[in-house]
Amino acid sequence: MVMARNLIRRLPILYQNHHHRLFSSATAAVAPSPTPPVRNDDEEIVEMKGVRVSGRPLYMDMQATTPVDPRVLDAMLPFYLSRFGNPHSRTHLYGWESEAAVETARAQVASLIGANPKEIFFTSGATECNNISVKGVMRFYRDKKRHVVTTQTEHKCVLDSCRHLQQEGFEVTYLPVKSDGLVDLDQLAAAIRPDTGLVSVMAVNNEIGVVQPMEEIGRICREKGIPFHTDAAQALGKIPIDVEKMGIALMSLSGHKIYGPKGVGALYLRRRPRVRVEPQMSGGGQERGIRSGTVPTPLVVGMGAACEIAAKEMEYDTRRVTSLQERLLNGIRSRLDEVVVNGSMEHRYPGNLNVSFAYVEGESLLMGLKEVAVSSGSACTSASLEPSYVLRALGVDEDMAHTSIRFGIGRFTTEAEIDRAIELTVQQVEKLRNMSPLYEMAKAGINLKSIQWAQH
Amino acid sequence: MASAAATAMAAPPTRAEALSLLRSLLRTASKFNDYNVREYIKRRSLDAFRENKSLSDPSSLASAFSDGKAQLEVAKRQAVVYSLYAPKVKSIMEIKKL
Repeated sequence: MVMARNLIRRLPILYQNHHHRLFSSATAAVAPSPTPPVRNDDEEIVEMKGVRVSGRPLYMDMQATTPVDPRVLDAMLPFYLSRFGNPHSRTHLYGWESEAAVETARAQVASLIGANPKEIFFTSGATECNNISVKGVMRFYRDKKRHVVTTQTEHKCVLDSCRHLQQEGFEVTYLPVKSDGLVDLDQLAAAIRPDTGLVSVMAVNNEIGVVQPMEEIGRICREKGIPFHTDAAQALGKIPIDVEKMGIALMSLSGHKIYGPKGVGALYLRRRPRVRVEPQMSGGGQERGIRSGTVPTPLVVGMGAACEIAAKEMEYDTRRVTSLQERLLNGIRSRLDEVVVNGSMEHRYPGNLNVSFAYVEGESLLMGLKEVAVSSGSACTSASLEPSYVLRALGVDEDMAHTSIRFGIGRFTTEAEIDRAIELTVQQVEKLRNMSPLYEMAKAGINLKSIQWAQH
Repeated sequence: MASAAATAMAAPPTRAEALSLLRSLLRTASKFNDYNVREYIKRRSLDAFRENKSLSDPSSLASAFSDGKAQLEVAKRQAVVYSLYAPKVKSIMEIKKL
């Protein structure tokens, strides 16, 4: 771009306009396309971003997203084919059948969490729900309530919304967590002030899988008369949620974490006692004025179907995922030492296993595990090089935080996939440790923290 | 996921009918080219039949049977849809032996 500009300056003034247009078209970006599959003997190989795999990797990243359940897809397809009406069209069959489908889905979501369908509002996802909850509640009560209590391990969208509020003049307390990832209930109760307008604690953490003591937090908030908001995107359909027992006033739900489609979520907003929010989307007043915009019928139907399936399958899935997690952890621990699980083992959703392998570098471990789709930390923070803020909040050392891997186990994971993941992980970790001088020194009994590294 | 309105009137299945349903489910599962879905349908069908083996009350037997039949219809349709959009490259679980 700079070179083009220099050339233009040297050209006579008459030609500058014409040539400027020529040069600017040359600088248009060319989007890279993935190399098409290459036939190599009898193997079909996929190459993307310089990585070659001979088949689609086995998927163990359920916290990032989940595959759509075929039963959910079956429920959604008619609404992409013949029943494509807008649910807000009041005058014809297309609108009526679409509206009926949306209301059925609303009831399905409500029944999974023990709520009334009138308390469910469909949005574009849990991020939008978190925005509405945090910013919407505080802005509505801005004259009387100026303080928010949340934790340091919340999802980025909650933390970012709180930061936004701080810029508007509100105050936020970010509670630390204990080394097992759980919030300290006494600290929580002590942090609540007379002008606290909201307490936001996520039910199941997306990075470490820790389950917070929801009923106790709900009790504290109820006693003090403060609305309790929870981001239940990872918890829905996995742990039993009851908004009455847990004293929840606002809840963010996500479709694509429970084998539903991406692009849809639901907000639970309690009616008794009434919680008011300032809407973040202005428009035609759809969803009782809470969230304007056409409700996406096929996505909403998908989320409803996913919730209904989750209600039926929760017991079976939980039993299975628990036994698969044991298999994975025992398989890894039986062949490797110095494996640390991040976060409490007792208060955990079994489908999320975040482990750190000492003396192994995280990036190289991930690059070597290209046949297993896993992630380190969360998808939101993986763009930057800094270690996950959640692990930092747990007090995990930086070198251990860098080497963490998050295994996600779900409804469709098989025993064979677990065994393959164990094998690949153990092979890769052993390979890296054999190359690691730090591991040699540690095995020789040297305390690495006591070393004075020389400067060259 | 049709809520079966027909269960109220249905008769409980005979042993042959139940076995035939299980066989159809397993056969339909093998038509899926997606490794995870195929394994899930096989496993879930077998586990569901195993769990319901001890049912004796005719109405719960009938409702479990009609639920199974509804699931079979869903599976048959989705087997077609999944085959239409099969990825060119198979899952690594189907290709490589360790």
